Amino acid sequence: MVGNLGIIQVTTWLLLVLLFPAIHANREIGNRDEVVDCSDFYSETRPTTNGSGLLRGNLTSSADVKQIGSDKNRIPSSNEDLVERSITSAAGTRYPYEENLTIRPLPNSHLLTSFSFHMKSQKFVPRQSSNDYNDYSHYTVFPKAFKPMLDRTSTRQLSLRFTRGYWDSESWGRLPHDGFRSGGSGVELWATIESRSKDDAFKQWKTLANSLSGIFCASINFIDNSRTTFPVNSFQPNDLESDGLPIFDHSKQLYLIRAALANEPICTENLTPFIKLLPTKGKSGISTLLDGHRVFDSLWHSLSIDINTRCNNSTDTCHYYAEVLIDTVINVPSVLARNERPIPKPVPSEQLRCDLSKPFDAFRCFPLPEQTEVQYSISQIFGKHIVGSNLISDEPSRVCVEVTDRWNAFVDVNGVFYATSDNCFDLRHSINQDIHLEATDSRSVAHLEEAPVYVSRSLTGYGQDRGGLRTVFNNPSLEPITLVYFESLPWFMRVYLSTMKLDIDDSGDQELTLQQVIKSMHYTPASDRSRPTHLEYTVIVPPKTSFSISYQFDKSLLLYAEYPPDANHGFEVESAVVTVLSPTKYQTRTATLLLLLSTPDFSMPYNVIILTSTIMGLIFGTMFNLVLKRLVTVKEADILQSRNKSKLKVFKERILTKLIDLRG
Amino acid sequence: MPICNNNLRLLVGLCFVGLYLLVGVPLWYNLTAVYRAPLPVEYIRSLHEQKFHDVHMVIPVYIKSIVYRFPDVHEAVQVQVNHLLNSRYQFVPWSLQVLPHSEMKGPESENHVISLVLDDFVGYSISYSSKETTVFFDDRSVISNDVPFFVAQTIIEHTFTLELEQLSSDFSRKHETTAISYNPNIHLSVSLLTGDGYPISWEIDSALKEYFTPLRKLLSPLVNFTVDTGITYYNDLNLHILNESQSVTEQDISHAIDLSELSSMNYFEEPVSLNLAIIFPSELTAPSGLQFINNNSTPEDYGNNWKSYVVPQWGVFVINKYPLQRDSKLTGSFLVPIMYQFANDLFQLLGLAKNSGDITHPGVTIDSFKRWTTLRNINKAEETLWSLVKLANSFEQMSIPHEVLTNTTAALDLRLDIIDLLNDPKKGGDLLWNQALALSNQLVKLSETAFFHSEMVQQNFFPQEHKIAVYLPLLGPSSVVIFFGFIKLMKERNQNAKAENEKEDKDSQKSEPSNSTEK
Repeated sequence: MVGNLGIIQVTTWLLLVLLFPAIHANREIGNRDEVVDCSDFYSETRPTTNGSGLLRGNLTSSADVKQIGSDKNRIPSSNEDLVERSITSAAGTRYPYEENLTIRPLPNSHLLTSFSFHMKSQKFVPRQSSNDYNDYSHYTVFPKAFKPMLDRTSTRQLSLRFTRGYWDSESWGRLPHDGFRSGGSGVELWATIESRSKDDAFKQWKTLANSLSGIFCASINFIDNSRTTFPVNSFQPNDLESDGLPIFDHSKQLYLIRAALANEPICTENLTPFIKLLPTKGKSGISTLLDGHRVFDSLWHSLSIDINTRCNNSTDTCHYYAEVLIDTVINVPSVLARNERPIPKPVPSEQLRCDLSKPFDAFRCFPLPEQTEVQYSISQIFGKHIVGSNLISDEPSRVCVEVTDRWNAFVDVNGVFYATSDNCFDLRHSINQDIHLEATDSRSVAHLEEAPVYVSRSLTGYGQDRGGLRTVFNNPSLEPITLVYFESLPWFMRVYLSTMKLDIDDSGDQELTLQQVIKSMHYTPASDRSRPTHLEYTVIVPPKTSFSISYQFDKSLLLYAEYPPDANHGFEVESAVVTVLSPTKYQTRTATLLLLLSTPDFSMPYNVIILTSTIMGLIFGTMFNLVLKRLVTVKEADILQSRNKSKLKVFKERILTKLIDLRG
Repeated sequence: MPICNNNLRLLVGLCFVGLYLLVGVPLWYNLTAVYRAPLPVEYIRSLHEQKFHDVHMVIPVYIKSIVYRFPDVHEAVQVQVNHLLNSRYQFVPWSLQVLPHSEMKGPESENHVISLVLDDFVGYSISYSSKETTVFFDDRSVISNDVPFFVAQTIIEHTFTLELEQLSSDFSRKHETTAISYNPNIHLSVSLLTGDGYPISWEIDSALKEYFTPLRKLLSPLVNFTVDTGITYYNDLNLHILNESQSVTEQDISHAIDLSELSSMNYFEEPVSLNLAIIFPSELTAPSGLQFINNNSTPEDYGNNWKSYVVPQWGVFVINKYPLQRDSKLTGSFLVPIMYQFANDLFQLLGLAKNSGDITHPGVTIDSFKRWTTLRNINKAEETLWSLVKLANSFEQMSIPHEVLTNTTAALDLRLDIIDLLNDPKKGGDLLWNQALALSNQLVKLSETAFFHSEMVQQNFFPQEHKIAVYLPLLGPSSVVIFFGFIKLMKERNQNAKAENEKEDKDSQKSEPSNSTEK
């Protein structure tokens, strides 16, 4: 019967025709873009040759440009026969991405390297409903992982810092980027979140922290309400930008939220996600230098990411801007020594540099100071070459070296050295390149700006029930300094603000009082297990003055289960943040502290159970016996005793009589 | 005179033992027992053993005749339909309710409509986007009274083919290999990958808006897509290692390809994601193109130098033969055939079709798919609840919080609501099926919330041994005192009784000789 039915086949092409009406759209064929050849390499270069046979440039600033064309530099133009396809050439396809590397020698043979990467997202329309069928998000260079997270948590600004090590500001001067791009030792996170209420903002913040934890393989998910503060004067997003952050829904408010995980270990697993965020993925440009072994084998390193929202009110579109910065300070001789001797062993005697003016023989050697005539290349420091430039942006990858005239900086392309007058090198193409540095006197370094203030904090007191905090402010300059001091202390430090006092060293103005120094104060007391102590005060430090502000606190006892597995290690207290408001803008952080709390004997609960149970058993046994014991008169007892003379007693008596008999 | 308190002492001892056994032990047991909410175990077991025993899905179909008027055609078709359906095994019972067109509620586009059209031949046609089936008949078939049979056969074997196929066997045992597990929200990630670092661009926004938006609209009752696109440089999914070999099988590709970077991006909210990756090899590793992609094609032959592969439960990747040149731009004409291929594969990945290109009338298929998904969701929820029962039975010391019971009861109530909707012959139309689908998604969620309760599955329960270890220092001494005290009491009592017996014997012996002397 089925055969009777003339089945009309509605075939697949119907779908094709209806859903894809323009499948046979005209193909577009354009002209291909010319491959830029090497002829525009390093425009400001002047070659000279030196004894080592390398082509080198000296650092004259003359404007006349001489081309050091070397055939070796030419990239073979293999793309000559580009074919016509539906893939056309769109000349000048460039994406909003920029990367720079700044190399700066520091005193005592240290070297600061600062990587910076800037990315901009595609424009998007805020407040777009998610069930719009035409809603597609596109990504080019901005990392895909961030936008959904920022949208979901309504985050308008996000800052994340991974910092470890000690920045010696007395010899290295100011922190890179005036300290605004590095955190305290450990992980620090703050964000500006748009929300209806503080509670909602906290929920969004928690989601944000958990998402970031996943992206950066870090323990950021341990951020909870006992570590979170809402800063009042510090961390204001307007610190750096004059224009404020946009609000997408005007019935909501912006909340600034911050938390830190003190002394959280930072390692390769945190660096890899940073590199993955970059469009070059560490395969070209300066990001090829970033290697976990070298970045973390440093005296101080800081990884930071800042994302900001910027909107254009006239077009009602917004962009996200991301800035990724990686700064490291390494000690050059120790890194070079490790290259030579990967396994640490003593230097052979013939390579020892001894002071011959002092007693010197086979057993004695007074070492000479470090050699001041040095030469090394960045590939020796990072163990890798720079693989060309990033190719996707208008701006080529740029490397700048900040040195005095006692130093020479060159870029090494295929064994040929080039120099520029400003020591900045624009990298081109995809060939291995290297930066070579040499100094006649490495002690001479580019001008280091002095830090406006030195702040250090320490724990005072002894014992397990109370302690004190002492913060020393030192203004070495000739101008008074206004700064905001921000401190977030864990709830188990019960701070007594009434004990706050000011101590001035002998050289300072002894008349100065606490009220004169502290201009305004914001204090949120801690609440057990749910809120940290939040202390923020504005201080004016008079010129050439050093004073300390100290106060006392009580240590609380934690619950049995609240102690970490290594309870005797102590509890990390995050660094205090000092933001200088005038005369310059600067931010610095104190070191973290290690607070020792009294730790219980962890077998205690079971001991308590056993002891109380024993006492209860004893009491119960006595009571039970009292109640059940048979009461008899003395007479009856005697009768019973004589009747119930135990067999043992009889046996004993018998033995005794036998013994007496034997003696007898 | 001795105080005779033996009975009183025994009574006190008995009281202690009685208190210990009757009050102490039950009190201790109850106070230290873990809370286990009473789950409706038997009901869930019966649901598991007799699947869909209370379901009889009724789909209303409206019949309309355009030329002739057949006043009783719906009754005649109903008889034929019932006969056809009864002749087959049904795992989930279902039937059609054939009704005259005049009884239709709601707009025509939302209901299944059969139009009878007089023509020169006999045949049928199913509308592409609406739910209308047209049955053509000729005068001869009217005379031989074959029309009701034609209609019944058309709608059962063609319009409701998905129901006929899927509901005839136990679909709970079939495991989908290609299709992802159904979820109402799916994330779609479209990526363009190139092995090089040259800047490239693509007209993806216009291509998606023109070709993917209609598909999104079409599928919107079933799934909501969120879509993002991205360009990834320096990543050819490890394909370059295959470039040396001339004959590459799909298995080789599945071994070589490295999807980790695309799959590890789980930043989106949706629990399920699908991918479309368009890959260009690197100029350095494959300057003359990947050898295994259409070996005969030339670079000019742009329509032929890519090949697409479906990765089960992941998505589709499209491998291009030739590397991209610097500053290339993929235009719409390049992307459209890929989008078209992907759309076909998407139906397969969603489980709507078994093979690529099977969908001929998506309007009807999507409607059937809604019903099937609803039933699958019900089955999934039942299975989850059954697993919960099994879990609760196998871990007797595990706590079952009250919330689990609340969620289980809510899920079971919701299940009944959905079945009421499915069984009601009066209702029909898009609104009903959408509502049933939405409720069934909620049902799956509820049953999963019940199962994945953090206090229950995190092995967070108090073992019996631990309980004894903690309480033994208290219970040990007090039990020893009570029981040994009681035993001592009993012994003493026996001794006393013995002594008294002896005494009595002695007394009687003493009295007997005196008596005899008296005698």
